[in-house]
Amino acid sequence: MEREGPAIELAGLSKYYGRKAGVDHLDLTVRRGEIFGFLGPNGAGKTTTIRCLVGLLRPNTGRIRLLGLDPVADHRRLAPRIGYLPGELRLYPELTGAQTLRLLGDLQRAATSRRAELCERLGLSSADLARPVREYSRGMKQKLGLVQALQHDPELVVLDEPTEGLDPLVQEVFFALLEEATHAGRTVLLSSHVLPEVQRACGRVALVRAGRLVAVRSVSTLREERARRVRLVLADGRGARGLGLAEHWSPRWHGDEVRLLVPPAELVAGLREVLAVLPVADLSVEEAGLDEAFLDLYRQDVEAAEVRS
Amino acid sequence: MRARFPLFWLALHRRRRMLAFLAAGMVVFEALIVAVIRAVPPTQLFAGTGPTGPDALKAFSGSTGDVSIASYPGLLGAGLVHPFWIAMQLTAIGSLAAAAVAADVESGTVELLMVRPVSRLRLLAERAAAVVAASLALNVAATLAVAGGVALSPALHHAVPLRGVLAAGLAGCAFTLCLSGPALAVSAAARHRAQVIGATIAFGAVGFAVNFIAMAWHPAAPLRYLSPLHYYTPGDALAHGTIPWGPFAALVAVGFAGIAAAVPLLLRRDLAP
Repeated sequence: MEREGPAIELAGLSKYYGRKAGVDHLDLTVRRGEIFGFLGPNGAGKTTTIRCLVGLLRPNTGRIRLLGLDPVADHRRLAPRIGYLPGELRLYPELTGAQTLRLLGDLQRAATSRRAELCERLGLSSADLARPVREYSRGMKQKLGLVQALQHDPELVVLDEPTEGLDPLVQEVFFALLEEATHAGRTVLLSSHVLPEVQRACGRVALVRAGRLVAVRSVSTLREERARRVRLVLADGRGARGLGLAEHWSPRWHGDEVRLLVPPAELVAGLREVLAVLPVADLSVEEAGLDEAFLDLYRQDVEAAEVRS
Repeated sequence: MRARFPLFWLALHRRRRMLAFLAAGMVVFEALIVAVIRAVPPTQLFAGTGPTGPDALKAFSGSTGDVSIASYPGLLGAGLVHPFWIAMQLTAIGSLAAAAVAADVESGTVELLMVRPVSRLRLLAERAAAVVAASLALNVAATLAVAGGVALSPALHHAVPLRGVLAAGLAGCAFTLCLSGPALAVSAAARHRAQVIGATIAFGAVGFAVNFIAMAWHPAAPLRYLSPLHYYTPGDALAHGTIPWGPFAALVAVGFAGIAAAVPLLLRRDLAP
């Protein structure tokens, strides 16, 4: 059993639905022991990619390796080492929570050593587990989904929109579980469109759009690369005016206040110039959020696609 | 057992109420047939149609040979090929065959099952076993109801040997296997349970209609070989006390051919809603 090499390796993965590409020549590598974010808007191909990863969909072309194994050919060897939470979790409504976990545990053919601990930490009581799943709220179903994905302590966890429906307290428990998983050397692939949770949990992220990979970056690099938000309040009461070189920094005026997006490399020198010519009464500089970084990457990718077409 | 074959038990557990009602319905229906036969002799029931009745009525007696519907075996056979009886069998088969693959794909539950170390062959094998077990249980219920009625009535017992009832029950099992195999093949390829239930009902209903037309209208007679009901002859089994092995083998072969066809269909397909 291969214990070295990447946890996930995709090379030229394509999956078509008729003539429409769900995923188009996707290349991706996820290292062992990292929490990797998989980001994109609805319909970007995240779920299709994940379903190919876990062997539910057969790719049209490309190569997939999870923990060094092929998810289709080596399914029975690989599956006990994987935990999976689908994006749209569907359960058997007439089974109780306990019956559901037992059924999925029996099928897993691995010790479900963490079941009781996870139920307790996520707030699924014995009374909850004795009720049929059809009586569960969205959040309770999601908790059950997390327990079934983690109860056998898998080496690789694939989570598609894991915090959907979870209240803030349970989300805290979830992030603690992720942290513990990485300390224990587990690998997590976290697909999401909720940027703050990716920013909080992941070391690296991949961004997909229309089935194609847009970028793979570390979260810290993305934030460093992005423009800083600079807010200036002017003291002379004259309002909007020409800013010279600073006109390139997308100024937005609100009375005497102007907001600028300044590239990090130009920040210090640029601000010196501005401060030298403008009567600045107040100043603040903020790091751009991950959401702005991604929106910027998207814009670049869309513009590049338009130029190509 | 439940831990070893969870997919088998899950399929039966989820449809246990439907199966219980169908079994009860079959028992009541067959008991009514026996009660009617005991109350009114067959010769009186069909007094106006001559000693054997028209050929088309053989389609309703479950015979392709010499068994008239105006006889005890013919009337008991009629209870085992009655549209109501067939509808109940089709309901059970259609529902459980749909649950084999298509219903899990449609509802999305297949994702949770198949990301575990469960091969597609195992899924099909356990779900096919559930269909067969349910069909077997329904046929056993119907057979026991008929056997009880025959044992309690001297006139019926004289005309119909108990081994004939057993033979008719076995023929019923072969008939349901014949319907189940193609239904499983459809389920292995389909995305919606309605497709499977529709195909199963169509297979049974068209088969019934083709058999009836072939027996009623001489130019269409060769078509009878296309109908599973041509090979399912409980009237003959009840009258003669033996299983007609040729037709029995044909029904079983179609059933296994359907299951065999389901294998590549399931292995090739995508399993996602």
